[in-house]
Amino acid sequence: MSEDPGPPLPLTAAVREALIERLTALGDDELVLGHRDSEWTGHGPILEEDIAIANVAQDEIGHAVLWYELVQGLGGPEPDELAFTREAAAFHSAGLVEQPKGDWAFTMLRQFLFDSYEAELLPRLMRSSYAPVAEVAAKVNREELFHLRHSGLWLERLAHGTDESRRRLVAALDTLWPLLPQLLAPLPGDAALTVAGIYPDTSELEGAVMQRITGALERVDVAPPKAAAARSEPPDRRDRSSGGPLVALLAEMQSVARNDPLAEGW
Amino acid sequence: MSELRPRATSDNAAPGDSQWPRWEVLKQDNERKAHQAVGSVHAADAEHALLMARTVFARRPSAVSMWVAPAACVHAWTAQELEGHAAEAVPAGPAPSEPGAASQRYFVVRKSSNRRSMTFGDLVGEVAAPTLEAALARALSEFADAPILALWLIEADAVVRSDPAVADPWFGPALDKTYKQQSIYSSSAVARKDAEEGVPE
Repeated sequence: MSEDPGPPLPLTAAVREALIERLTALGDDELVLGHRDSEWTGHGPILEEDIAIANVAQDEIGHAVLWYELVQGLGGPEPDELAFTREAAAFHSAGLVEQPKGDWAFTMLRQFLFDSYEAELLPRLMRSSYAPVAEVAAKVNREELFHLRHSGLWLERLAHGTDESRRRLVAALDTLWPLLPQLLAPLPGDAALTVAGIYPDTSELEGAVMQRITGALERVDVAPPKAAAARSEPPDRRDRSSGGPLVALLAEMQSVARNDPLAEGW
Repeated sequence: MSELRPRATSDNAAPGDSQWPRWEVLKQDNERKAHQAVGSVHAADAEHALLMARTVFARRPSAVSMWVAPAACVHAWTAQELEGHAAEAVPAGPAPSEPGAASQRYFVVRKSSNRRSMTFGDLVGEVAAPTLEAALARALSEFADAPILALWLIEADAVVRSDPAVADPWFGPALDKTYKQQSIYSSSAVARKDAEEGVPE
């Protein structure tokens, strides 16, 4: 990398389009996961964890804003518009982050899987040839290191806690494991981004994420489910043909903004 | 010396309490300041307690280091409880060896003011003595340079500290965020500014 990257190079129309798609997906994953985490507010297992999960939710939603601002910078809609006015069909979030929050084991395992993905993705994005992406990745990565420590702590304690905690962890893994391939699958435009040095090679990234996750599961003596995915998401995360839990999530998350788009009632 | 009845700060836990054990939290705002007792968290174990302490007490205000100690290992006295207890000066030179009595180290936290709302007391130093009673006498002697409204002796071996290697991901993000200062709730302040200028207490 050069000493001073200077202003971002002008992007070709095709690369710009692909980058908007990928940044939207990054932001949507963060926003939807943040909203799922926020559903624990007031319902956490203990006060301290209630505060902790609310903090994580706030961080993830903050990260969504950072990615959405890059979309806006490329000529896309502003962050509030992206979050509160799009229909489910226009969202690029992965099924993994859309699943209902489930029990504490499900929420913590999902967070661990997502944090593990980001632990591999973000350092690669920090080397992006597109400086605004590298800057945001560095900012997000700083907070994600603590998230991973927290969710990793829970992975260990759920695995080695009681029969019940282990049973709940294994049940959560059965649901979440088949959703990993879609989270890690490339969007059609990613190849062009990789050639431009903007986004990492997705198959190399997938290998690194899966190695990190299987290593962590091995260390707590939990085997990944062997059976092929009984219920998997469509390989392209933008395929909304089967509906899914995102529709209900957006109905709630967007209700205030849709009732009063200009927030004049405030 | 009248009978010494240290009151562990965990005595308020009701029997059969379903909560996880309680841990006292000490936070250091910057390298120039002492660690201060800021409150407590419930947590399953020491590592969990440190993470909960960071979450509850260092999400916004600045911090560079945190300690946690099981409340059962924190021995506490109020000024009233200390009335009549004699301070005992530490003899010059090494303490006389007392066969069979290994010396136990304690961190000393002293509350000297009622005017603070965010912190209970400051870490003022440490003492070593073969018994808790002797450690208290030494602490009363060594740390008499300010009023003692309350005193804690924390078993040094029970203290678990945040890892300086991860100080940035633990405490760094808070510095860039806007948050509400409890004492000036109507205005927002940025922690980095506070860290430079000092937070009003």
